[in-house]
Amino acid sequence: MTEVLIEARGVCKTYGNGVAALDEVSLTVARGEVVCIVGPSGSGKSTLLRTLNAMEPISAGEIRVLGEAVHDRRTNLNRLRTRVGMVFQAFNLFPHRTVLQNLMLAPRIVGGVAEAQAREQALRLLDKVGLGDKHDQYPGQLSGGQQQRVAIARSLCMNPKIMLFDEPTSALDPEMVKEVLDVMIELAEEGGMTMLCVTHEMGFARKVANRVIFMDRGEIVEQNRPDEFFANPQNERTKLFLSQILH
Amino acid sequence: MSPADPGRAVRPWGWYVLYAAVMVALGYGVYAAAQRVDYNWHWERIPQYVVSFDGEEVVAPFDGFVKLADDGRSLEVESLRTAERVRIDALDRVLSGDGDLVFEGDAIAMRSGIAAGPLVWGLWLTLKLSALSLLFALAIGVVAGLGRVAHNPAARALSATYVELIRGTPLLVQIFIFYFFVGTVMNLSAFTAGVAALSVFTGAYVAEIVRAGIEAVPRGQMEAARSLGLSYPQAMRHVVLPQAFKKSLPSLAGQFINLIKDSSLVSVMALTDLTKAGREVVSSTFSPFEVWFTVAAMYLLLTGALSIWVRRLERRLAHD
Repeated sequence: MTEVLIEARGVCKTYGNGVAALDEVSLTVARGEVVCIVGPSGSGKSTLLRTLNAMEPISAGEIRVLGEAVHDRRTNLNRLRTRVGMVFQAFNLFPHRTVLQNLMLAPRIVGGVAEAQAREQALRLLDKVGLGDKHDQYPGQLSGGQQQRVAIARSLCMNPKIMLFDEPTSALDPEMVKEVLDVMIELAEEGGMTMLCVTHEMGFARKVANRVIFMDRGEIVEQNRPDEFFANPQNERTKLFLSQILH
Repeated sequence: MSPADPGRAVRPWGWYVLYAAVMVALGYGVYAAAQRVDYNWHWERIPQYVVSFDGEEVVAPFDGFVKLADDGRSLEVESLRTAERVRIDALDRVLSGDGDLVFEGDAIAMRSGIAAGPLVWGLWLTLKLSALSLLFALAIGVVAGLGRVAHNPAARALSATYVELIRGTPLLVQIFIFYFFVGTVMNLSAFTAGVAALSVFTGAYVAEIVRAGIEAVPRGQMEAARSLGLSYPQAMRHVVLPQAFKKSLPSLAGQFINLIKDSSLVSVMALTDLTKAGREVVSSTFSPFEVWFTVAAMYLLLTGALSIWVRRLERRLAHD
């Protein structure tokens, strides 16, 4: 039996106006698994991802990540978040800081890492995403693809055990999608990172994922191995979704 | 080049000539208006109130008797009550006689040289008042601005009440309240009461500027910082506030220029700031036109310097 890193049970999220973003969602992710979450917009996939590191509070249910109860008010969420990296659709790099400073901020402030050590680690991670020569630049001077690679390196700075990707390539120009996906593939295949990725890149899901989850209207409708999922969808809603996006 | 008439040659200096002509015409208008009321300009009376060549007064350090020395350039003051004696040298003109009884603060002699006139002293007080108030207003404003965007309902309501109370009442009324009520209750000096009134007043406007600045920083910045494990205060301090500060710098500069100008209202308290000094000089020269033009120019000196400094700061921070 492999070690379970993420376990969500009966998670509900209802907004003040009564709209249910998540409806009794349960999910288990084991160490080293790469899970892609797909589905139409508004299906709750980003919301589900964001509840896992408590960026989004939940209305009911239980979430355990790395053995910590995320739904519990007493849990030290800041400490948990250092062990769960997150990459955003809009990169969200800190524009007033250089690339190197973006990577060093959390280790210096939260981790209490010495300047020289934080710098060395930041440069190593930048090299890994192929941007070692850009460390002195400001985010505004980089292309979208480069910014997203810096953002991935930044979220790796605290040595997370889990990485959450929230539509990491949706805001990119088409020619920059591959460079970002390549970094993610390397992270999954060579780093053995446990990854959850909300994405519209079906090619990526097919190639890298161990499991594909289809969500619709706040529910997990279907989940399967990627080859089965794409070749042989079971649910009508999954079939409809796939017929709409695959041409 | 003006896009409206693309084919035409543009002579930008022409517009500067027009500008100069309008300014000269305005200046002449003021002059002509003064002529019509038979005003006698006496600009020559003004410089002595800016820089005084009379030299500075030497005052008695305590109550006592004066003993003149033979050289006529030094004297001794013998205390009335204690055995204390003080020798004062290098005097240029002695104003008191041998054996005179003088009291603390009395002018007993003069030293020649250049000294600041009353207007410069007023300018100095205005500068001190404004600079101190600026620091306190910034501190109050950042705290209240953070309160405005806080999740805590008590912090939000307190900040909102403060801002509404201060923005809803005239500064002059607040100054009276600080001087007569707060100042009396807490036994504050006029200067302290003035700084307090100006800081609390400007702080409310700074709070709104800080709030707008924080709200102008994309939500994703706070989210990214929190996702890295930073606490809310850490994320505010290292990620959101630096960006908010940069965005609100032009509005802050405007507010601080207002602060310098608003400080003229403290002249209603027993504080000789630039405006009060101006009023005093008018009453001794009977040259209101010259004095108020001079006072205005001195305020412009302060506000202009602040403007230039902020513009430099903006340029230094502009890298993204």
